[in-house]
Amino acid sequence: MSQSKATLVVGGGMSGISTALELSELGRPVILVEKSPFIGGKVATFNKYFPKLCPPTCGLEINYKRLRKAANLSLHTQAQVTKVDGGPGDYTVTIEVAPRYVNHKCTACGECAEACGSERDDDFNQGMAKTKAIYLAGHMAYPHRYVLDKEACDEADLPKIKDACKYGAVDLDETPQTLTEQVGAIVWATGWESYDVSKVDYLGKGELPDVITNLQMERLADPSGPTGGKILRPSDGKEVESVAFVQCAGSRDINHLPYCSGICCLASLKQICYVREAAPNAKVYMFHIDVRAGKYEEFYAKIQADEAVEIIKGKVASIFPEGEGLRLQVENIESGESLKVDLDMIVLATGIVPNTADLPFEATMDDYGFLMLGDAPGIIPAGCVRRPADVATVVQDATGAAMRTLTQE
Amino acid sequence: MSDAQNPEPELGEAIAEMGAETLYWCMQCGLCTGGCPWRLTDGDINKEFNARKLQHQGQLGLEGYESDNNLFACTTCGLCVARCPRDVNAIDNIRSIRMMLAEGGTVPQSYRPIVGSLTDNGNPWMETRDKRTAWIKDLDVPTYTEDTEYLLYVCCTSCYDARSQKIARAVATLLNKAGVSWGIIGEEESCCGESIRKIGQEELFTTLAEGNIELFKSKGVKKIITTSPHCLYTFANEYPELGGEFEVQHYTQLLAALIRDGKLKMDKDLDLTVAFHDPCYLGRHCDIYQDPREVLAALPGTRVMEMTRNRESSICCGGGGGRVWMETPPGERFGDLRVNDALAHDASVLVTTCPYCTIMMEASVLGLDKDEEIAVKDVAELLVDALA
Repeated sequence: MSQSKATLVVGGGMSGISTALELSELGRPVILVEKSPFIGGKVATFNKYFPKLCPPTCGLEINYKRLRKAANLSLHTQAQVTKVDGGPGDYTVTIEVAPRYVNHKCTACGECAEACGSERDDDFNQGMAKTKAIYLAGHMAYPHRYVLDKEACDEADLPKIKDACKYGAVDLDETPQTLTEQVGAIVWATGWESYDVSKVDYLGKGELPDVITNLQMERLADPSGPTGGKILRPSDGKEVESVAFVQCAGSRDINHLPYCSGICCLASLKQICYVREAAPNAKVYMFHIDVRAGKYEEFYAKIQADEAVEIIKGKVASIFPEGEGLRLQVENIESGESLKVDLDMIVLATGIVPNTADLPFEATMDDYGFLMLGDAPGIIPAGCVRRPADVATVVQDATGAAMRTLTQE
Repeated sequence: MSDAQNPEPELGEAIAEMGAETLYWCMQCGLCTGGCPWRLTDGDINKEFNARKLQHQGQLGLEGYESDNNLFACTTCGLCVARCPRDVNAIDNIRSIRMMLAEGGTVPQSYRPIVGSLTDNGNPWMETRDKRTAWIKDLDVPTYTEDTEYLLYVCCTSCYDARSQKIARAVATLLNKAGVSWGIIGEEESCCGESIRKIGQEELFTTLAEGNIELFKSKGVKKIITTSPHCLYTFANEYPELGGEFEVQHYTQLLAALIRDGKLKMDKDLDLTVAFHDPCYLGRHCDIYQDPREVLAALPGTRVMEMTRNRESSICCGGGGGRVWMETPPGERFGDLRVNDALAHDASVLVTTCPYCTIMMEASVLGLDKDEEIAVKDVAELLVDALA
């Protein structure tokens, strides 16, 4: 690979950002491609993260600052790699870029959203809120430039949005673009999705509003989230008095995800802290097969010592509506007792599913569908598309991937 | 602890060798116990029966589970097997523990006359062989010959039980109406043996099955239609190991095809709201959910309601695994749950397609004193009602 050839990094989450920055700061040209209108991935939606249980905002801010300063780094959002030809040292890739309808003149003043009457489901807030059809995903959104979801926007709102922008940033005539790039190496860091709980019939099939996923809990607990950080029951906004965390919601199960995602136990233990802070009088339960806290065993011990938290060994067997709340059925394995527990809210600790839909190359995958470093075409997987991992591990993985691109020269 | 026991690993291994192949796969998560239909009832069996603990005792070779309310509570509904995260087959495991007991000569009181009747008469209903065709009455029922396409194998329950005989007659009427080439063998047939195997009577099952296989082969049988999903299950899944390879289907499968081909048509508007109960052995055990629904959809003016627990999540009637022959106290009957669910869906008929389910749910209708609000019928009976 000649020094002038860029590396393509696919996926603008923590892995992709880290890989792109490592390479860029080594003086390598990088093309970073992100499918959605904003980068930051799952981490940007977290309230707090390990190891320090701090909000990820400062970590992201540092990365975004590095991105702004990065020479030879081009970022394409709303972009997807649809074709890959060639091999290590000499790839030709096709990138399809969808129109944003908002150009570089945007100051993120928000006048356009004020003028817009149409709304869309807020995917950043895990569907628990609405945004206007022209929006920013969260207060940390990067690029800090609005995007128009034209499909969600009423025809009548379009001229209003355009007229509301005094900088001429709204460009309704933008069209999709197809880019062709020559690159020397490709890092595939498309991340993960949460396991689809509608597939687990005995855990409410995704049909009960007060049974949420751990990703939704991150948004509920976030001070900038849909409830301003209050842990409120989605169905009626009631402040929770009892919450249960249900571990292995589809994980370590041959009918669903046969593997352990390794992060859900700690995510729940962390989220127990959210509940204890936001609703100190709430009773908290955690039901598990076994708790895998890894290097954070002391943190687990601290939660175990909390008298408001009951940690029970037993795989939850059913969840159903009861009165205005929920009821959960489980066997306490240690006592052999059958328990029926009434709750305001249930958090399903769902696992990591690698994002591998519509791959434009012949991928080598492990038994569970995670990408492996294949012989051909030499594409380097990084982050959670390669294996389930926490944020710190993903960042290390990204450095590894960046180094590996250099070996392909 | 006063009830402390010493584990006997050889005992666990012996159970595993009897067919409990997945006994040691169990990681003791409790999903089977928590999701077991007994948890939906309130009584002694709910307190005693724990599939997770039972299998743990099996693994360790511990005893103390032998009661009717524990070891013999499992209805083999298969809900836990379908959901088990480790693919543990609790049915095979529990059956093997029951076998171990049976081999030692222990048979629960309720099952002794059943075992005797099956041994002597080839049916569990304490009737003689010559009454096996008593269900026919004035109906035109052909005898199976080498030129016949399908053998109709009527479940012992529908051969002998007065209520259940109506199901056999309805199926026969429909087959005649659709012009199917079918026939029965009659008194030479023996019980399929499905349920007796589940209570651990392996030898008796083998005798019954081998007798039937030999009989079917001697008559040149290739294709079998069953009235019961239990016979279907064992013919399709357990007879091949004993050398009995037949093309088997439940009668609702054949009827669905006949309706599709325009060979069977129901014209009479029944103006009914019915709720369909998936029998465990048709649904979870044989993966047949669509055919009975398709058949019901062909009934003019009939609204078919899906109950709260349906298809893969259907709840057992309480009659599988030998429980049809064991008394279950009122208030602990799964049939009550089904009847109440059907009533909650404004159904005036709880329709199913298994003789055991019909018996169990009808007992619940009477027990709940709801016989003026709801009736239990087999799919075939509804179809006959709708023939012009």
